[in-house]
Amino acid sequence: MRKIAAAGFAACLFAGPVLAADPGVTDTEIKIGDVNILTGPASFIGRAVSIGSKIAAAEINAAGGINGRKIVIATEDDGYVPSRSFQALKKLVESDGIFALSGTSGSANILAMLPLIEENKLPTVVTTTPNELVYTPVRPSVFTIGATYQDSFYAQVKYIHENVRQQNAVYGVIRQDDEFGAAVEGGYDKAVKEFKLKDGLRLRFKRGQTNFSAEVLQLRAAGVNALVNGGIIAGAANILSEARKLNMDLAVASVWSEDMPPSVKLSQPAGYPYILADYVALNDAATDTYVEKAKKYLSADEVGGINRYSYLSYVGLKVMAKAMEACGKELTRACTVSELRKIKNFDTSGLTAPISFDNEQQLSGRELKIYQLDPKAGTFKALVDFKRY
Amino acid sequence: MDFLLLLISAGLVSGAAYGMIAMGFALIYKATGVVNFAQGELVMLTAYVAFSIAGAVDLGFWSLLAVTVPIAMAIGLTLERIFIRPMLGEPAFAIVMVTIGLAVILRGVTIMIWGPDPLDFAAGLSREVITLGPIPFYPAQLYAIGCLAILVGLAYGFLRYTRVGIAMRAVAANETAALLMGVSVKRIHAVAWSLSSAIAAVAGILFAANFKLGPDMWFQGLRSFPALILGGLDSLIGAAIGGLIIGVVETLAQGYLGQGLREIAGFVVIVVILMVRPYGLFGARDIERV
Repeated sequence: MRKIAAAGFAACLFAGPVLAADPGVTDTEIKIGDVNILTGPASFIGRAVSIGSKIAAAEINAAGGINGRKIVIATEDDGYVPSRSFQALKKLVESDGIFALSGTSGSANILAMLPLIEENKLPTVVTTTPNELVYTPVRPSVFTIGATYQDSFYAQVKYIHENVRQQNAVYGVIRQDDEFGAAVEGGYDKAVKEFKLKDGLRLRFKRGQTNFSAEVLQLRAAGVNALVNGGIIAGAANILSEARKLNMDLAVASVWSEDMPPSVKLSQPAGYPYILADYVALNDAATDTYVEKAKKYLSADEVGGINRYSYLSYVGLKVMAKAMEACGKELTRACTVSELRKIKNFDTSGLTAPISFDNEQQLSGRELKIYQLDPKAGTFKALVDFKRY
Repeated sequence: MDFLLLLISAGLVSGAAYGMIAMGFALIYKATGVVNFAQGELVMLTAYVAFSIAGAVDLGFWSLLAVTVPIAMAIGLTLERIFIRPMLGEPAFAIVMVTIGLAVILRGVTIMIWGPDPLDFAAGLSREVITLGPIPFYPAQLYAIGCLAILVGLAYGFLRYTRVGIAMRAVAANETAALLMGVSVKRIHAVAWSLSSAIAAVAGILFAANFKLGPDMWFQGLRSFPALILGGLDSLIGAAIGGLIIGVVETLAQGYLGQGLREIAGFVVIVVILMVRPYGLFGARDIERV
């Protein structure tokens, strides 16, 4: 009887580390969560994010996995609704038992999920919405890749001021009345103050608005000839369409989502060669190589869905994998977070600037590249290479 | 002065879209006594149908309309037969719930078939700006105002001079009496759904040509609701005029007062009007609202 008790005690001792291990890790698998926009008008973003994660996971698994463990992605749709993001993550944590989080949906969505991420100390790499509120204050397990919208619009207004509208410029901004819009206006505001620009008009609109005729008339009445267009997708295109109707001569700064093919197709008829600043490469050797590599793992349909968000989620999961690999066989959330903090100059093959999280904000990839649309061809040319603003 | 004229013209364009969508609501309400909460989805669905037709065959605007409208009418008839006919005689609330369910189904089906990406759809119209005096318009904007005027004329003629139109008015006035007088209420309901879908097609095509085609277009149904209430739930012509008023008021509010007042201006107008005329500007007095 004593022998049985001793054996049982010994078994418990040996089983201890396994029982205490963090969820989502088995001898053969590591489960990574992905909360994403898979339904609704913005779902082409979510699909692209999923595609990027799929390529990264396939590539890692084809190379033998992380210390022998394959990556498995568990995806939940939030429809771009913050309350649903919270519910989706709750399910991933409590029911699916994920180890870490890679896809994090939109700005308001990641903000809704942050309490749950902190509570569970989930290693999380945020790539699609590098909103300042995500890393201020710093959450120990949250790492962010990307420039802020503030930086993006500051960079664009600076470029317009120095290269496009050197004289008689009147600036204006039209933006959503939410956190995203506030960030857009933040960049505009910083540039206007720093360069002492003429601030013609600032306008806000509700998310989902389609008709901007009155707003564009207000911009024209204020004499705006350099516009920060905070609209996205159809909204951005409708603003430009109204401006074209009024024959406005505009230099236009845009949100980085306007570099995606569906957005470009909508905006092309207005014919404005708008600029944008992105922390992701577009139309160059790095993205060509990526797409070629992706074809090994994706269907033709999925390859067609690749855009900037695919590059980002790919980079995000690869960085996460690098940290997990450094933990060896004893993979824990705490170790992954600690290794993520040590990431320095992680090479993304030119998709973004090299990633380093060894800073107080655990923030990287803030360098921006400025592009301009050729509205006839629907392609972008680089104006300024990756640079920190 | 130019600014005011430009705002009014922009308001008339958006008001024309509201007006056409609201006319579809009013037609079904007039014939059946039920608010069809899937009207916005019908607008969206028929616009997507037109988009597919335009993708397959190169058609000008009127030809596209000529092909799309009969298909839209067939869709309206089918939906009425499948979802609404079995509910005949049931409480209005139950029928309204069915239309809400139908709306959700149509949204899902549209995304399943055409995907979630917004699309550019010229609807066979040029994008060259036309200037009338000091006011520039896209052709699609002028067509929207023109089509609203045509629809109002047709609705007036239909309800006043045609047998079916008069029967529809009889059903609206007293369904039981109309039934006893030999009017086929079922047929009138079917005709109402069919014609309402035809109006939805015109509204959808022109809305998409002006503001892009997307799966969030259904929301325009709700945006048009103030126009319907303002004009009077059972008045087609009232709905059209209500649309124009709401469009102009919204645009003027945004243009002169700004900062999001567009969103509330329409509702302020209907609150004020309903306090004075609870049945709307042109509605019948004894309406029981749902």
